[in-house]
Amino acid sequence: MAKNPEHRDLFSGALELMILHSLRLKPMHGYALAKHIKLVSDDLLQIEEGSLYPALQRMLKEGSLESEPGLSAKGRPTRIYRLTDAGIRRLEYEVSSFEKMLSGITRVLAVAEA
Amino acid sequence: MQWFKQLFTRGRRYDDLAISIKEHLEEKIEELMENGMSRESAERTARREFGNVTLIEEHSREIWGWPTLGSIWADVKFALRQLIHAPGFTATAVLTLSLGIAVNATMFSLVSAFLLPHLPGRNPQNVVVVSSVNPNQGDTNPVSAPNYLTWRADTRVFAGMAAVDEYRTASLTGQGQPESVNYAAVSPNYFNIFGVSPQLGRSFIAGEDQPGRDHVLILSHGLWEGRFGSDASIIGRKVRVDREDYLVVGVMGADFQLLGFTPQMWTPLVLSAADQIVAGRKQRFLYLFARLAPGVTLQQARAELTILAKRSQMDFPANERRWGAAVRALGDFLIHSFGIRTALAVLMTTVSFVLLIACANVAGLLLTRAAGRQKELAIRVSLGASRMRVVRQLLTEGLVIALLGGGVGLLLTYIGISLVRANLSFNEAISAVPVSLDIKVFLFVLGVSLVSATLSSLAPALKASHTDTNAGLKNESRTTSGGRSQSRLRAVLVGCEIALALFLLIGTSLLIRGIFLLDHQPLGFRTDHLLTGSVALDHTRYSDASHQLLFVRGLIRSLQQIPGVEDVAVASDLPATNPNTVPIQIEGEPKLPANEQRSALDAVVTADYLNAVGIPLLRGRTFTQRDDANAPRVVLVNDEFVRRYFERQDPLGKQIRPDKEGAASTWSEIVGVVSNVKSYSEETRVDPEVYESFLQRPVASFSLMLRSNVEPHSLIPALRHTIAKLDAELPLANVMSMDTVIKRQRNGNPLFIRLLGTFALLALILAAIGIYGLIAYSVSQRTHEIGIRIALGAGRSDILWMILRQGLRMAAIGSALGVAIALPLPKLFDSIFQGLHFGAPGLYVVVLAAILMVTIFATYVPARRATYVDPNAALRDQ
Repeated sequence: MAKNPEHRDLFSGALELMILHSLRLKPMHGYALAKHIKLVSDDLLQIEEGSLYPALQRMLKEGSLESEPGLSAKGRPTRIYRLTDAGIRRLEYEVSSFEKMLSGITRVLAVAEA
Repeated sequence: MQWFKQLFTRGRRYDDLAISIKEHLEEKIEELMENGMSRESAERTARREFGNVTLIEEHSREIWGWPTLGSIWADVKFALRQLIHAPGFTATAVLTLSLGIAVNATMFSLVSAFLLPHLPGRNPQNVVVVSSVNPNQGDTNPVSAPNYLTWRADTRVFAGMAAVDEYRTASLTGQGQPESVNYAAVSPNYFNIFGVSPQLGRSFIAGEDQPGRDHVLILSHGLWEGRFGSDASIIGRKVRVDREDYLVVGVMGADFQLLGFTPQMWTPLVLSAADQIVAGRKQRFLYLFARLAPGVTLQQARAELTILAKRSQMDFPANERRWGAAVRALGDFLIHSFGIRTALAVLMTTVSFVLLIACANVAGLLLTRAAGRQKELAIRVSLGASRMRVVRQLLTEGLVIALLGGGVGLLLTYIGISLVRANLSFNEAISAVPVSLDIKVFLFVLGVSLVSATLSSLAPALKASHTDTNAGLKNESRTTSGGRSQSRLRAVLVGCEIALALFLLIGTSLLIRGIFLLDHQPLGFRTDHLLTGSVALDHTRYSDASHQLLFVRGLIRSLQQIPGVEDVAVASDLPATNPNTVPIQIEGEPKLPANEQRSALDAVVTADYLNAVGIPLLRGRTFTQRDDANAPRVVLVNDEFVRRYFERQDPLGKQIRPDKEGAASTWSEIVGVVSNVKSYSEETRVDPEVYESFLQRPVASFSLMLRSNVEPHSLIPALRHTIAKLDAELPLANVMSMDTVIKRQRNGNPLFIRLLGTFALLALILAAIGIYGLIAYSVSQRTHEIGIRIALGAGRSDILWMILRQGLRMAAIGSALGVAIALPLPKLFDSIFQGLHFGAPGLYVVVLAAILMVTIFATYVPARRATYVDPNAALRDQ
């Protein structure tokens, strides 16, 4: 959901895509993931931090992620999320599907005005 | 299987989620504080940037698919509101279901009372019954005294064993009219086996089973209330039993009940020397109750008893050949020996069918409703409700209806159980069983409601989950393709209902007819105007044959004086009451081995028996006063005896020898042939029968018969008076007319028939409602079409016929199916109820005609309404 009217809504599936990719780089806990996405996207994407959690749960349910006990940055117990093998496959699929969509849109936009 | 695993990890998942979110917030807050914010503003900022924590947590939980308590409650409230706004629908659905649930629960209460009987005492699951087994005679036979004593001494698997002689009768005199009571003689440790103690006084103690100390008595609660007025001071008083004084030492509580055994009092069991000798092995009369030793299983007990029985077989081959031992858990044994399972199974099956029909009706109603709500559902789906949520809401509605139906059903069940209980008085043992609305019945109602909910709402819910959003949102009330498949489904439902109803009707009519014919079969003698009673001459005063004869002679003479009495007879058994069977040896025939010997029923009768009872004499003569102890032995045989054993040769003059136990057997001459009498009023078989002369072989326990020309019951006072004059302490038992005796032998049959009839009628009514509902709805859907037809010139009768045809077609298909599945019923019943024949093709026609009439009637009402459709209004109405 956009907070800043200048930024668009994410297309559905975008959040999952980014979570999967980020967690593939490094298994993280919830807050670290939120900070990572915010940092790396240079604040271009405005995501409500909380919206990560339903997405995380959905992927847990599907089996793309698994959660294990671990410590937060402050040394307190929390859950760490990591990708499963199924998750890796899912990520590759989503990425390729996203790239197809992107290239499709790019091609349409590349048609210059006659 | 994923979801199954996930079900169990739910709690943990929710916890993990909560930890994640909490830690997320804490971390953020700490970071913000490190950057200089105060705790307060850090918290506010963190929460704001997180989003609505509660909502997010709830959404995250919902991902897992399990409804939150709040959403379930919302569904329930919504369902209730919807139902209140459709009172007609709700009332019909709830009432239909409640009827189905109520009959099932009522029958279940019977089933649970008889098949899951309440067992008395402490840890009744450790109490077992040891019985004798014989391949020809089943496995719940009592045990002989010698075996009991041997096994009791040798056994190691039981913590205690007690023997009971269950079916004794004695006369209680003094303090009111002499009364004949059933009682049981038990080992002194009998009550200890069960772990029960008397409510008043004490139980028997060791040593009271020895002669001299055995004249003690424990009363049953019923006898204590009935005869002794619940007087607590009865303990320690003496009571006269069979002309001897017995001391009352205890009174049992009302809850000591064993299914099928209804003694009114208990005395100690004395096993005399005679019981213990080898000859005593032939008398099997003791029921053995034992408690398993700690740690011993039923299997181990069975194994040991098998070994002990084999030992008896080897030691006494003459008497013990082929006799084994069986050990059964108490509850199992009681049910087995009571023999009511078949009837209960039939009743339970019948009511399940009724429930199925009821559920089909409700499913049809729900389908209709769903069709009417297509638009509403489409809107909900397009606004973002998941299909799961929609289905859940419909299932909730079905559940609410079912629970309401269950609630009303519970009330109806209470009424039903009261009605049934009032009708159980035909049999002492049966009416002693407590049938009530207990926790088991309540749980059953709950379970059945849930099952009905599932059955009824499954079809509509599934259909709704495939809602075509577009079609629903468009403003069309004409049947869309979805609507057509829905009405087809409904037609299928009603067709199935009709098939089920037909099947049920055929089944119940076959049973009702068969049992009714059995109850009213001609028995071979005159049952009207015949007063009967039974007398047991006790040993004390009538110690031998001459005393017994003297009494009987005097009795018959006195009874003949009673005004209104035409004939008087005395016999060892009343006719058609299953007399004993004895082996018969026919002169001139070789002696056959034991299990191939000829046998016949045996009764001892006085001279006027044939006249009094109304059995025609076919050949020869009947007994006279001259056929006494000094004359040559004579017997009468029945026609079946001649047919079976003499193959139509003349039997008169031939000699036969009935081998009765406990009496000398002598050769007797056949002097007459009498007409057949059914062996038992509730069975169709006719067995060969031999009648002996009372004067030649008197018995101590017999029945009197008085043929009267007035109403038999009016003679009862005179009868009692006559007996009292001859012997004031001799009780007269079972005084009733022969018609009453026969009626009693019908036992539960009349109730069984009435129940079956009720269920069949209910099924028919429910099916009729189903047909009516379907046709009425179909008419309302076709109003547009009917309007066009009328506008184009169709007459009233054309429309009527069109609708009628629709109903008849559906009934035809349903009936064909129903008849097909009902075809094997006669054979099935023949095999279940041995000896009866259920084939009755005429019944099929009758039942089909009934269904036809019901269909026509149920269809006619909406059809008639259809003819009054105003074409203008119909065409206008989109």
